[in-house]
Amino acid sequence: MQLRWSRVAPQLALAPAVAVTMVAFIGAIGWTVWLSFTRSRRMPEYEIDWTDWTRQYARLFNDGGWAISLQNLIILGLGSALAIVFGFVLAAMIDREWRGESFFRTVFLYPLAVSLIVTGAAWRWIFNPQLGLENFLHGLGFTSVSFNWLASPDTAMYAIILASIWQSSGFYMALMLAGLKSINTEIWSAARLDGVSFWRLYIEIIIPMMKFTFITCAILLSLGVIKAYDVVVAMTNGGPGNSTWVPAYFTINALSAKSNIGYASAAAITMLVITALIFLPLVLITAWQQRRANGGGA
Amino acid sequence: MTMITQAATLEDAANALPTQRGPFFPRKKKRIAGRSIAILVFLTICALFFCVPLYVVVVTSFKTMDQIREGAIFSLPHVWTLEAWDHAWNKACSGINCNGLKVGFWNSVLILFPSLILSIALSIVTGYALALWNVRWANAFLFLLFICAFVPFQVIMYPLIRITASIGIYGTLWGIAAVHAVLAMPVLTLIFRNYYKDIPQEIIRAAIIDSGSFWRIFIEIILPMSGNILIVVLILQITSIWNDYLIGVTFGGLGTQPMTVILANLITVSTGVVAYNDNMAAALLTAIPPLVIYFLVGKFFVQGITAGAIKG
Repeated sequence: MQLRWSRVAPQLALAPAVAVTMVAFIGAIGWTVWLSFTRSRRMPEYEIDWTDWTRQYARLFNDGGWAISLQNLIILGLGSALAIVFGFVLAAMIDREWRGESFFRTVFLYPLAVSLIVTGAAWRWIFNPQLGLENFLHGLGFTSVSFNWLASPDTAMYAIILASIWQSSGFYMALMLAGLKSINTEIWSAARLDGVSFWRLYIEIIIPMMKFTFITCAILLSLGVIKAYDVVVAMTNGGPGNSTWVPAYFTINALSAKSNIGYASAAAITMLVITALIFLPLVLITAWQQRRANGGGA
Repeated sequence: MTMITQAATLEDAANALPTQRGPFFPRKKKRIAGRSIAILVFLTICALFFCVPLYVVVVTSFKTMDQIREGAIFSLPHVWTLEAWDHAWNKACSGINCNGLKVGFWNSVLILFPSLILSIALSIVTGYALALWNVRWANAFLFLLFICAFVPFQVIMYPLIRITASIGIYGTLWGIAAVHAVLAMPVLTLIFRNYYKDIPQEIIRAAIIDSGSFWRIFIEIILPMSGNILIVVLILQITSIWNDYLIGVTFGGLGTQPMTVILANLITVSTGVVAYNDNMAAALLTAIPPLVIYFLVGKFFVQGITAGAIKG
């Protein structure tokens, strides 16, 4: 009896989680996939016209707003990648110098504790052309400096990138610092004895040793960029015009402002596909390299 | 031996002599100190970059609009005033409601507690069952959870709206709390499972023989040894629920919006005169609870975000 109960109880305990997964994740994804093939607008329709089931996707890829969103996704991804570089530099500096380590770590990480809406509010104010940083720099005599990034469609995206870097560098620093600390101390002293120069030590020895950390950071960055929504709302609300739309913003805008359910579903599923496309190769590479590393060790 | 070392040292010293006058060892020490100073200067400049927005927000929130119009964003307030704080807390407008940020604050608090209880209760039990009990499909389910953790919210947003609407909690604080619990479940389960899987199987086997049932083992053995991970998860959840905007704006109705949504409404209005001091006070009010937690228990916060990000 007891043995059987010990089989039943854990499965019963898992039931809520399984139900949540099946309904709220698997079921909901299927629901959205189905809706993306229908002609649903304000109200959901569940009939699929099989002669023309890709119509929402066809419309999506002819939509200028979606093209801008995808383009901004790439710009944001490349720009925010600087946060990884910056994070690595900060981590390397902190790791080399024992003084003030906890102080600097605390300072570099605090933006992460704050909502992106707050971050956006602060940077929006700093970028204010009449009263913000630009005005301050002009007052100092740098009259040619233009810091009015948010008002122009060409530069608004860079302001969002700057705010994202400010917010997330500390996070990558924390990951990199953990990676640096796991490097064997003998490597540092061996390199010093061999007289390896500072730059060669980092570029040829340390960075290759930390490639898993870099891959992890790249995965996390990509996922964060696809999900980027709050910071866009807080800084530009998609504007000027639609110049700072990103897929996450586009999708929610299609659902809430245009109330076009089928169209929003198609955009959401495309986001899912993009996530999978970025995510799967990176995971496969990591798994393959880990297997190879294990095989070599054994 | 000593001869060779001495000779080598002498040779080094001799090599060093023509270029540098000072004795060999002090010179080397000095160079290291120079590098340290360079690093510290660099780090301090970076720290200033990180602190500038906070400084600007704090000083702006204490200024009067008259001073803000002078345009010196970095200057200290001529007169320190709490007017903007009072206005942001009591009278700031979100849409047509001008009851201030305090409404959002209490909504956020009322969302926080049920979400915390729901999400942690659901995922701690799931993580425990998956890690320590022989469930045949455990690995398949874990893999599924791992995949779910990466699904963008937009993909499941509309179905979740319909589901919450059909059980009558759409637009209520309970609806927001439930959605938080659902979305956090995969990640939190993976965190708990990774923590429990290192517990030796023998303990559980011994406990089963000792007529311990699933729930008794959980309450008497597992919970008492979960203190550390519970604090990490608690802090991760408090900050992420408090800072959430997307779920709040999607599932919050009129009057049930959390603080971040009201703040966003406040800063994105494009009509009328913008009171920057009110906006910055509102931003600070929203940021204070997570910042207090961060500065009090930063170590656990960092553990939480790294565990939450790497997910197994």
